[in-house]
Amino acid sequence: MLDFLQALSDGVLFGATYALIGIGFTLVFGVMHKINMAYGAASVGGAYCGLLVLQVMAGAPPLVVFFCAFLAGGLLGWLVYLTCFHFIPITNPLATLMATVGMLLLIDEIIVHTTAGMPMAYPAMFDDVMLRVGEFTLRGDLMMVFAVSVLCMAGLLALLYRTRLGLATRAVSQQTVAALLCGIRVGQVNATTFVVTGLLGGIAGAMIGASVGTLSPLLTTPLTVKGLIVTVIGGLGSVPGAIIAGLMVGGFESVLQLYRGVTERDLYVMLLLFVFLVFRPGGLFAAKGGRD
Amino acid sequence: MALLELKGVSRHFGGVRAVDGLDLAVEPGQVFGLIGPNGSGKSTTVNLVAGLFPLTAGAIAFEGRSLEALPTHLRLQAGIARTFQNIRLFGQLSVWQNLWVAQNSPEDRARHGFLARWLGGQSGARDEILPLLEFSGLAHKRDELASNLSFGEQRRLELARAMATRPKLLLLDEPAAGMNSEEVGQLRERILSLRGRGVTILLVEHVMELVMGVTDRIAVLNFGQKIAEGTPAEIQADPAVRKAYLGGEAA
Repeated sequence: MLDFLQALSDGVLFGATYALIGIGFTLVFGVMHKINMAYGAASVGGAYCGLLVLQVMAGAPPLVVFFCAFLAGGLLGWLVYLTCFHFIPITNPLATLMATVGMLLLIDEIIVHTTAGMPMAYPAMFDDVMLRVGEFTLRGDLMMVFAVSVLCMAGLLALLYRTRLGLATRAVSQQTVAALLCGIRVGQVNATTFVVTGLLGGIAGAMIGASVGTLSPLLTTPLTVKGLIVTVIGGLGSVPGAIIAGLMVGGFESVLQLYRGVTERDLYVMLLLFVFLVFRPGGLFAAKGGRD
Repeated sequence: MALLELKGVSRHFGGVRAVDGLDLAVEPGQVFGLIGPNGSGKSTTVNLVAGLFPLTAGAIAFEGRSLEALPTHLRLQAGIARTFQNIRLFGQLSVWQNLWVAQNSPEDRARHGFLARWLGGQSGARDEILPLLEFSGLAHKRDELASNLSFGEQRRLELARAMATRPKLLLLDEPAAGMNSEEVGQLRERILSLRGRGVTILLVEHVMELVMGVTDRIAVLNFGQKIAEGTPAEIQADPAVRKAYLGGEAA
């Protein structure tokens, strides 16, 4: 029982990073009705860019690395928008999808070539802190990961629900034509969405690096798959859904890793997705409203 | 000089000539009615002025400047706003937020810096939004989600949202569709009040009670072409109009 609780809490804390990735997929889908397949790779790429700081400034504090990953993620998000959406015919449903798949492979290749495919150590914070309640422990680095992720989500929700920028974003996702005719610059809103999701992705990548201790190019594909699973389970286009689904998938895979081992773990995550697709295809929070 | 001038405007969809060589001139301050049987090209004309799709031929000028090169969201900057035949509100935003998010006129843009404008709170726009809420009679529902409003309230909100963009020219696409006669009466008062404030209105409408009551001038379309233009009284007496509407020989 204690093992179960331990695995569950570790998993839920780590799941906050999945939630961030899920939010990235779901926001872009909500606003543009497009899947940005390059998102997971761009997030890992952002985290790698954070490591560049250590090249320039050896021994820089982890917070600086995280912040650079955050900014680099935003920049990558904008680049993905520019290359895969801005100049690509948006009405063709396959064009942007294939462009982002290409971008996924490109980012992956760039990472492999610049790091020679070797995993790189990633800085963490509070990794020597342990909260103990009897046998039950809470790892300091995981709590930091969770706290940073929650902070980012709170920031995002405030942006989406409290500011005009967020309202304009939601307006575009609900009624694109009417938003255009209210003078909202839909192209700018789309680009901003990519930058904001990119920022979140950069921090998610950095948090994954911090909690695992290393970054490896092998991370991009599983992260993309997990992100999409979280998005579908949460309900395409639903931010609260992505948050809950992220924590849920994190806890679920951690518990199954405990009982079935790391090799079988992802199998059960797929099974969870299957169950959702069969019994609740709209996800936890099927998107309300939508376009037209 | 006419505020809005259409010269030889055509829009073809494949072989269908939705609008075919249309000339119109809407003077500043006018309420201009555009009527005609279903499929005669009225809504297409509105969409062309709003910039939802390009012209096949002809030219549209607003305040003497060609609209052709102006993308949709910049037409609003120029002072053109519209409402939709099928309501298109932001359903998951509140009444207040629907109005707030539509404040994109050059005056509103100029008033605040970029950051204050996009990241500032909702309270900044109180002075502009409260009169709009009063105008639409929705002050008591300001925090209600737009999708929870009744049909009539949604239509009022859509009109208020168009006004929030501070238009010089307002395109109303069948604003009275589905309204009962009491609501049509209220709508008529609202349109006249807008006209009193100097807003020019292009009104597309089937409800003749409204069209004849508020317009200064009417153009009648049939099969994408203008078959008559004149004051409401002239139009009511026009044999070609009667023929188009009644189908038979003119009386």
